Amino acid sequence: MAAVLLSAAAVAACSGKATGSGGAAAGTTAGGTSTGAGASATVGPQNSATPQPGGSFTMLEETGLTGAWPTGLDPATDGNGSANQSYLDAIYGNLFELGANGQTIDDLATGYTITPDAKTVAIHLRPGVTFSDGTPFNAAAVAFNFKRDIASAVGDKPNWPVSSITTSGNYDVLIHLTQPYAPIINTFHDSNVNWIVSPTALQKMGENAFKLAPVGAGPFTVVSDTVSSELALKKNPHYWAPGEPYLNSLTFKSVASDEAALETMQAGGVQGYEGMQTPQLASAFGQQFNVLDVPSTSPYVIQLNTAIAPFNNLNAREAVYYATDVNLIDQRLFGNLHPVTEGFTAPNGLFYEQDVPGYRTYDLAKAKAAVKAAGGVTVDLMATQSSVTQTVLEALQTMWQAAGMTVNIHVDQLANVIQQFQGNKWQASLQTAGAFDPAAGLGVNFRFGSKSVFSGVHDPKLDTLFAAATSTLDTAKRQQLYDQAAAYISQNAYAPFLFPVNGWNIAAKNVTGPGLTTLLPASAVRPEILWAQVGFTGQ
Amino acid sequence: MTVYRLAARRLLTAIPVVWGVTFLGFTVLNLLPGDAAQALLGADATPSEVAALSKQLHLDQPFFARYGNWLASALSGHLGNSLGSGQPVTTILAQRLPVTFELLLYAFIISLLIAIPVATLAARRPGGVFDSITTFIALVGLSIAPYILALLLILFFAVDLSLFPALGWTPVSGGLGANLRSLTLPALSLGFPIGCFYTRLLRADVLEQLDEDYVVTAHAKGLPGWRVLLRHATPNSMFGLITVVALNVGTLLGGTVIVEQIFGLPGIGEELFQAIQTRDFPVLEGIVVVFAVLVVVIGLLADLLYAVLDPRIRYDNPGQ
Repeated sequence: MAAVLLSAAAVAACSGKATGSGGAAAGTTAGGTSTGAGASATVGPQNSATPQPGGSFTMLEETGLTGAWPTGLDPATDGNGSANQSYLDAIYGNLFELGANGQTIDDLATGYTITPDAKTVAIHLRPGVTFSDGTPFNAAAVAFNFKRDIASAVGDKPNWPVSSITTSGNYDVLIHLTQPYAPIINTFHDSNVNWIVSPTALQKMGENAFKLAPVGAGPFTVVSDTVSSELALKKNPHYWAPGEPYLNSLTFKSVASDEAALETMQAGGVQGYEGMQTPQLASAFGQQFNVLDVPSTSPYVIQLNTAIAPFNNLNAREAVYYATDVNLIDQRLFGNLHPVTEGFTAPNGLFYEQDVPGYRTYDLAKAKAAVKAAGGVTVDLMATQSSVTQTVLEALQTMWQAAGMTVNIHVDQLANVIQQFQGNKWQASLQTAGAFDPAAGLGVNFRFGSKSVFSGVHDPKLDTLFAAATSTLDTAKRQQLYDQAAAYISQNAYAPFLFPVNGWNIAAKNVTGPGLTTLLPASAVRPEILWAQVGFTGQ
Repeated sequence: MTVYRLAARRLLTAIPVVWGVTFLGFTVLNLLPGDAAQALLGADATPSEVAALSKQLHLDQPFFARYGNWLASALSGHLGNSLGSGQPVTTILAQRLPVTFELLLYAFIISLLIAIPVATLAARRPGGVFDSITTFIALVGLSIAPYILALLLILFFAVDLSLFPALGWTPVSGGLGANLRSLTLPALSLGFPIGCFYTRLLRADVLEQLDEDYVVTAHAKGLPGWRVLLRHATPNSMFGLITVVALNVGTLLGGTVIVEQIFGLPGIGEELFQAIQTRDFPVLEGIVVVFAVLVVVIGLLADLLYAVLDPRIRYDNPGQ
C-alpha cells in the first residue's frame, strides 16, 4: 500500500499534474473518495523509476479483446471503446485520469466545479493546448465532443441525465443536468467523453477516414493503422506536458494468446503485454519481466433469472447460494489469487464491502434441503466464452449436481449470449458485475436494474436504492445505500458472487510507467496506462 | 481443345462455383447468432440503438434483398465497404492480400523443397536408414497441429536462437532479407506439415515408377541409377503431387487464418477471422470471392502444368 501511494506521489510530482481542483464543490464528488481503492491487491515488484527520453516501445494486446478495433478509433463510433482505452489514451489523452488510490488526476482538464444544487458541472480545460493538427483545444471543441459522444450508439457513452451542454469562455464547458448525478466525474474514467477528437480534423477527413487516422491532443499521433492488427504511433511534438511523452514511438500489435505473447516477449523486440489472464503463466513471465498484478473491480456473479422458473422460487435461488463453494473454486482453479466477494463491489473499487450481512455461504446440507423444498431444480447455466468461464462453469456444475440439481452448462460467443438475454428465456448466467464506481460504466444497474435487458432482477425497491445512491453527492450516504442494496440482493438470494478475476500487465525490466509497472485502479475493463509517462529507465 | 479454350472453359465453369461459394458464405454468416450491429456496438448497446444501426447498414432488409444488393454491387466491380471500419473492401484486400500470397508462396516453396529431394532420396533405398528417419519425421509432421508447430518454432528459432522474429511482418520495402525473415516461421508452420504429406505421397509415386518397364530399360541401357531416378522416375511421379498441391490450396488458405493470428501477420486470414467475429459480411464475401477464384485458378494452372510435364498430353488433341 505504501509503495502504491509513494508511486502515485512520484507520478504526480514528476508530471506536475495536480489532483482534484479548486472551486466550491470541486474535488469533493465521488471522484475524491477512495474507499477501498488500492487495498488488498497482491502486487508484484513495481518499477516507478523516472524514465529517460527516447526509445521505441512495442506493446502486445490480446486479439479479440483489447487487440481488436474493428470499428476504428473514433470514440463516438468505436464499439470496443473501453477495451481500446490504451490506443485512445495514447492518441487523445484524457480529460481526467484515475490516480493510484482512486483520486481524479487532471490531464487535459485542470479541474471541475459542481454548483451547490449539483445540477451544473463545469469542466475547466487546460489553456494553450492544441490538437496535433494545430487547431485549438478549447471549450467549443470539447462541447462538440460531449454532444457527439452522448448522441452516439456505442456502449461506453455516459448515462448522464443531461439537459444541455454549453460553454463559458474559451476553457469552461458546462454540463447541465436534470438531476444531481453523483458519479459524473467518475464516468469520465470509463466512458468515451474522456477522449476528445479534433472537430476540425473530423469534419475535414470525414468519419470513415478519421476513425482510421484519428487526431487528438494526446501524447502520440497515428503513423499507420492496420485495423485490429497493428497501430503505429509517434511522439506528438505539440503535446502540452513539457518533456512528455518520453517515448519516440509506440506500436501496438495484436497477439493470439497469452502463450504466444510470452514467447514473443522472450524472443525480444517487444517490451510489454497488457492484461495477461493465465495465472499459470505469471511466474513464467516473472522470471524475465516485470509482472504487475492488476486487480479487476468487477466481480463475477451468477445471475439468476428471477422472472422464470426455476429461479422465480426463493428455495431454488437459495440452493445455488448454498451449493456454491466459492473459496474452493478460487483455491483449486486460481490458487487463491482472487479476493472472494459477497457483493457487486471489489477491493479496488469504490464502496467496497467485504462482508455482506446474512450472506449465504457454502453449506451442502442446506443446499440439498433447499433443492428438496423447491421440488427439484433443473438449471441451464451459460457464460460468455473466456479463459476463465469454461473451468468455472464445470466446477459449478459439479458442485450443484452434488446438491441434487440437474445442471446443463454451455459457454457461448458474446453474440449468442446477448441473444439469449434479449429472449429472456435464460435461467442462470456467469457474468461480471460492477465497476470502479458502481454507478458508472457497466455499473450495477446493468446486471440488477429492472430496465436492463442484461438483468435477471426486476425489483422496484432495488431500483430505488440504486437511484438514490446515484443522485446523492454525500459519499457516506452512497456507501450506506450500496451496502443496503448488497444486503437486499443477498437477502432475496438474487445472485451469488464469486470474485473479481485479476489480470497482469507485463513489461520489460527497463520499462517504467503508471498503470504498466505501478498499480492504478481498474477504471473499466482494466487500469489505464498513462502512456505519456511510460519510458525506458536506461538500466 | 487449345490451352486457351481450356482456360476459358474452366473460367466459365468457375462462375457458378464462385457464386455458390458467396451464397453459401452469406447464408452461413446469417445463420450465426447475433448480428453485425450488435457486434459493432458492443454488449451494452440498447436494442433501439442496435435497431438504428441495423437500419443504417441495411441489415434490417430481408436476406435475399441484402444478398441481391451485394451481388449487384459486386458484379459492377464494387465489393462494398466494411461495416466496421468503413474502408472499401477492395482497399482491405489490396492491403492484406500481398501478405497472404507471399506467405502461401513461401509455404509452398518450403513444402516442395522438403518433399522432392527427401522423397526422391528415400525412394532410392526403401527401408534404408534415410528412408526410415524421414518416414518417422514425416509422420510426426503429419500428426502435429500447425498451431502447436508454430509455438514450437517460435520457442526454438525465435526465443532460443533469436534467428527469426516471433511476431509481425516486415514489408519488402523494409528489405527483402527482413521480409523473408518475418515470414520464415509462419511459412514453416504451414509448409512443413504439408511438405511431410507431399513427401509420403511422392515417395510412393517414385517407388511405383521405379518398378515400371521404362526404368528397367534405362538401367539395362547402362544409365546411372541417380540419373534414372532424377531424370526419369521423379518427373514422371509428379502428376499426383501436382494434383494434390492444387487441391491443397484451400487447406492452406484455411491454415493462414490460424497462422496469421499466431504470428500477428496482417494478412487476409487474420481479416477473415475478424470479419466473422464482427459479422462484417461485405469483407467476408470479398475474401470468399478471392479465395474461390484463387482455388479455381490454381486448379487451372495444375491442368496446364500436366501438359508441360508430359508432352503426350495436349489439350488440343481430342485423342488425349
